[in-house]
Amino acid sequence: MALLRIAFRNLLRAKRRNILSGGTMVLGSAALVLGSGLSDGIARQLTASLVATQTGHIQVVVRPNDFQPQNSPFDVYGQDFFLGAEDLARSLETGSAALGVDVVKAVPYVYARGTAMAGSRSTLASIIGVDPEREPELQRSLPPASGRFLPAGDLTAVYIAAPMARKLRLATGDAVSFVVQTPEGALNSLDMIVCGVFKKAAPWFDGAFYVSLPAAQSLFDQPGGATNLKILLRDGGMRSAHRTQPILARLVAEAAPRKLAKGTALQVESFDKAGRFAFAIIQANETALFILSCFLFSASAVGIVNAMLMSVHERTREIGTVRALGMRRRLVVRMFVLEGFALGSVAALVGVTIGGAMVLRLALSGIAMKTMTLAWMAGGDTLFPVLEPWSVARAALAITAISTLAAIYPAYAASRLQPREALHHI
Amino acid sequence: MLALLLMLAAAPAAEEILRNADRSILGDTAAYQLRMTISRTGKADRVVEMNGFKKGDTLGLARYTLPAKERGTAYLRSGDSTWLYLPSAEKVVRVGPKQNFAGGDFSNGDIFRLSLLRDYVPTLVAEEEKDGLRAYKLELKAKDRSIAYDRVVYWVRADGTFFPVRADYYTISGKRLKTLMAAEVRSIGGRTRPTRLVMESALESGSRTLLEFLKIDDAAKLDDRMFTPSALERGQ
Repeated sequence: MALLRIAFRNLLRAKRRNILSGGTMVLGSAALVLGSGLSDGIARQLTASLVATQTGHIQVVVRPNDFQPQNSPFDVYGQDFFLGAEDLARSLETGSAALGVDVVKAVPYVYARGTAMAGSRSTLASIIGVDPEREPELQRSLPPASGRFLPAGDLTAVYIAAPMARKLRLATGDAVSFVVQTPEGALNSLDMIVCGVFKKAAPWFDGAFYVSLPAAQSLFDQPGGATNLKILLRDGGMRSAHRTQPILARLVAEAAPRKLAKGTALQVESFDKAGRFAFAIIQANETALFILSCFLFSASAVGIVNAMLMSVHERTREIGTVRALGMRRRLVVRMFVLEGFALGSVAALVGVTIGGAMVLRLALSGIAMKTMTLAWMAGGDTLFPVLEPWSVARAALAITAISTLAAIYPAYAASRLQPREALHHI
Repeated sequence: MLALLLMLAAAPAAEEILRNADRSILGDTAAYQLRMTISRTGKADRVVEMNGFKKGDTLGLARYTLPAKERGTAYLRSGDSTWLYLPSAEKVVRVGPKQNFAGGDFSNGDIFRLSLLRDYVPTLVAEEEKDGLRAYKLELKAKDRSIAYDRVVYWVRADGTFFPVRADYYTISGKRLKTLMAAEVRSIGGRTRPTRLVMESALESGSRTLLEFLKIDDAAKLDDRMFTPSALERGQ
């Protein structure tokens, strides 16, 4: 403890040098906290959007037995319809409670492709049939830029993505026709009225037309059918989803057998598995942050080694004196390592305070993602960084550890000084 | 009402009318030359010419001759399968019967539907004036849910020629999707028949495709081996 006190006191002996080398670490730890805040914000926004609009915490879909994900956002959707989706949803809601799983709701929806036509214009359309009454989280994730969200019970309303409105020159109140090929092969069509337009800066929503679930089921001639069953859990963490997935898979397997196309099966997937694409973006962000951290740490470590070597050089006579008075080499090593620790911990404290304050400030205002790529990577038009206690602790621990480790070599060099030679040092 | 019943009683059976209509433009086996003009609002017309072949109710082939950059592109129908050969990619790919044929308003199924009688159950519902001609009005109901159009209303000339006059194609929901009109009856290949077919989209305004038969040879001798994907790739 006495050595630690001495170490902190020694920081004041070469203030300018320690401020400069400590400043590098302050900047490094502040940047690390800020980077973590951005990365955690991206992860939270992408996950929230994925869960709200596509997968829930767990989803049930029809997959070919030899399904190979394409690492595309459309991997989420089932390749085929399964009938009796409402019955399955109800049986999962009731059956899961007895098994100790807290399912908030299980909601079927339809995702399928077709053609949208208005006047002399037409385009490929992603037609998504949802139950707006049971999925209020959809409206929060896809708020209207004009008009209003899909009204409950309106079988003729369609809520469309802004790029589709531009392409077909549609506005609220305009008519749009859909022509689709049903799973059996026949053509079907439906005329609808645009109730609202939404903007979602993610290209996989660009072709989206939201309609009511019964309208989509009628359009694809699949009464009671769905391509996806979205399940929301009370505890929406990844661990909870992983723990619950096998229980729900058992319930799905025990439910009444469904007539599925040959070579396909109902799969129960947790949101991280279903939303591989979103998680690949999160993983890429974390990897980029890790690489950036490595550079920051390396720069800081070089600064520390340099400052400590300078300190050893300046204090050669002092080291010679304490060694001549009987201080063991081990204690000399410990003293310099503790100085590194002291410098690192002070720098970390200042750095994470500055970084944390910046994250909190940006979390209030948000950062506008002005290009499509940025918005795509951030999972929305505005990025709200998140200050996670673990990220702050990680940055502080990392910078302190780097500083302590970087002091080992100078400490070892100091301990190797011979007292007689050191005392002659000018 | 009684007059209508008497008229319908005197008319041939619906199946008979449809069978004759199926063979009224192209015979059982035929080689033909076709020009297709695709019109879209605000765009220049696209013209494609092709040589076509059909044999029985199951085999059909169409190979582009114009425009030059698309020469060699070919569609093959054999049974229920349709293939497309793209010379630039040197590849044969399977395509759906409901996909557009050459980007026009006809689907692959429309072009290569070699027999309506095979896919639909016909009912004779009236004999009436249509487009200035006396015609049988047939209601065709798809035999199953895999047939592209759930319902077709088909007018066939009631003057003994059984030439098609008009056909309205409907989706499952009952919405009219497109309309086919047959016109310009003249002698071609030694036989009188309609030589112009126009398909108009009922949903996309200004979207229409005109098919003109330039030559028809009903006596062509066609080898089954030319209706295979490998022959398609070899350009035979």
